[in-house]
Amino acid sequence: MKARRFAAVVSALTAVSLAAACSSGTNASGDDMKTLTLASVDQGSIEDVVKAFEAANPGVKVNFTTSGADQYQAQIRTQLSSGTAPDVMTVWPGNGNPGATFVLSKPGYLLDLSDQPWASKLPESFKQVAQYEGKTYNALFGLNGIGAVYNDEALSKSGLKAPTTWTDLMSFCRDAASKGTPAYALGIQDNWVTQLVLYALAATVVFGQDKDFNTKLAAGQTTFAGSAWTQAMAKYTEMNTAGCFQKNPLGTSYEASQTLAATGKTLGIIQGNWVIGLLKGKNPNGTFTMTALPATDDPATFLVPAAAGAGYGVNAKAKNKELALKFITYVMSPEGMKLFNEKQGSLPTLPEAGTIVDPGLKQLTTFVAENKTVPFPDQLWPNAKVQQTMLSGLQEVFSNQATADDVLKDMDTEYKKGE
Amino acid sequence: MTADLKVRPPGRAVSAAPPLRRSRVAPPWWFVLPALLLFAFVVLVPSARGVYYAFTDWDGLDPDFAFIGLRNFIDILDDGDALQAVWHTLLIAVAVTVIQNGIGLLLALGVNSMIKTRNFLRVLLFAPAVITPIVTAYLWRNLLGPDGAVNSLLGTVGLNSWQQDWLGDPDLALWMVVLVVVWQFSGYSMVIFLAGLQSIPREIYEAAAIDGTAPVRRFWSIVRPLLAPAITINLMLSIIGGIKLFDQVYALTGGGPGHATDTISTLIYKDAFTLGDFGYSIALAVVLTVIVAVVSAGQFTVLNRNEKAAS
Repeated sequence: MKARRFAAVVSALTAVSLAAACSSGTNASGDDMKTLTLASVDQGSIEDVVKAFEAANPGVKVNFTTSGADQYQAQIRTQLSSGTAPDVMTVWPGNGNPGATFVLSKPGYLLDLSDQPWASKLPESFKQVAQYEGKTYNALFGLNGIGAVYNDEALSKSGLKAPTTWTDLMSFCRDAASKGTPAYALGIQDNWVTQLVLYALAATVVFGQDKDFNTKLAAGQTTFAGSAWTQAMAKYTEMNTAGCFQKNPLGTSYEASQTLAATGKTLGIIQGNWVIGLLKGKNPNGTFTMTALPATDDPATFLVPAAAGAGYGVNAKAKNKELALKFITYVMSPEGMKLFNEKQGSLPTLPEAGTIVDPGLKQLTTFVAENKTVPFPDQLWPNAKVQQTMLSGLQEVFSNQATADDVLKDMDTEYKKGE
Repeated sequence: MTADLKVRPPGRAVSAAPPLRRSRVAPPWWFVLPALLLFAFVVLVPSARGVYYAFTDWDGLDPDFAFIGLRNFIDILDDGDALQAVWHTLLIAVAVTVIQNGIGLLLALGVNSMIKTRNFLRVLLFAPAVITPIVTAYLWRNLLGPDGAVNSLLGTVGLNSWQQDWLGDPDLALWMVVLVVVWQFSGYSMVIFLAGLQSIPREIYEAAAIDGTAPVRRFWSIVRPLLAPAITINLMLSIIGGIKLFDQVYALTGGGPGHATDTISTLIYKDAFTLGDFGYSIALAVVLTVIVAVVSAGQFTVLNRNEKAAS
């Protein structure tokens, strides 16, 4: 009896806390026409954008919530299907994750933004992932790249030079490891981190050889297994065996890997440009420089994975459509875009934003300007399972539970299942 | 009571009779209705409606979805990750149940003795159980990291060869999950055992001691049978908790490396919220419900029989 009562109390408490957790979403109340509801994953930057937007529109109040990507995706899908979603929300570009443009616009949850002035101005590579069936749904404001980010001080102390070819990279890793400061921090306990090195290698190795690889993949003319992806995987493993990463990457979290790179326990980290801001947070006096990760011996062929970060979409059933569009317009205005990207350390998607880019990102800016970038591969994969298979598969490769070929074959299986 | 006593014919047992007679009056069945209705409205109906989606390909979003019969359940049998998760779940549940209750019982016997600091120890040992599991899991995630306190400590005492990537090694990670759960909830089991121990009259111990029984024999023949209700509760709670385990796994390893620590619950979460495969995820949840129901019903029957046999 005691057990049962205890169970009842526990389940009641669980129900209450669940209800509380679910209701942490946004609720418009009171003066509806002056209140905008917003849900975002841009913790640390959206706050300032909201403040600036409110200042520019006196009397307007933005009720916003922020959360991590995992939690956010669960929340927004529940809210959309139950009709309680906020007016404006974070939406990821392209396909391949549960909060992505294709996924949310297909059932008609997003408002068509094609008639907005910025929609036609977006560069082609962004249109690809901001649109679904020819209509624009996603206000993509920022661009992120993946590469090797070096701790300038640690690098000069080591007396080594950032490698510019694959051969260089191998000896760089060995030299760094023998000096006791491994080349790159790798925190793949958080499984999303596993993909970054692979993408940085695949950009040159896979897409450098064949820019249309994704199109061919979609048409069934090629597969992951047996393609250049095999080489990219092999290079990733080779980097690991050459000692490019610190010990025990699987037990190291993303957070811990930042600390290693920021404090000079490793010479750098292979990450997205967003990490520079985080590294500076851990080491305010440090300077950090990002370069392309050399994947071959011919620097002229290097490509950098660079893609639109998450943008904003408008709820098709927004309570306050007018204000929602006003907010989107602000985000895509030079002023809003500049603010957002400077806070996030990303590059603007529209050229006229006048964003002041971190000096450490000079090379990335050049690669973008010279069109030597490829989108993150997963943004055009047909379902979220392909990426998840890759992420947990890479963890299995690092812990010898699977081979690179197994992983690529599993990715092919999931890819073929389609949407 | 006194009036009762006066009319009672002499010579009959006074104490046992009234409750017995009272219990023979069955309360009208409809007394249960309000509670049942509320339960049905809040638990049964939503759950049953949820089960329906296990037979569809609903993605959690699109109002258009198809009824696909048993497809999801067949897919589970075909899904290596899911079968592995079932295995992990049962392994964790059994390991947690055995170790946690073993330690909990020893602790209870310890703090039930006359040692001076027993009250302080009781509070101290119970303390982890009042912390939110997710918080303890994050604490342990730091302690067990490659540069965490556990490895530093091993290094300091010269046991460098014992240093491990505790959470990054697929052979160890699952046991670290067990460790964290046991660390947190042994004190909880202890408290329930302690309550059971304190309800055993002191005279019985004394009588046994005077008869010259050995402590082990005293435990086995006196304490164990009288502790049967506490054992039942503890085993039920820990096995159900073990089967449903989510927070600790999710915070410690996220189910990784790879799928090395995925349990049914973490898969349910991932399939629904990361992959948007709600139908499949709900099918897994149905499987979990069936496992919990079967295990706890079986356990309850066995333990209840033992409890009755013991008393």
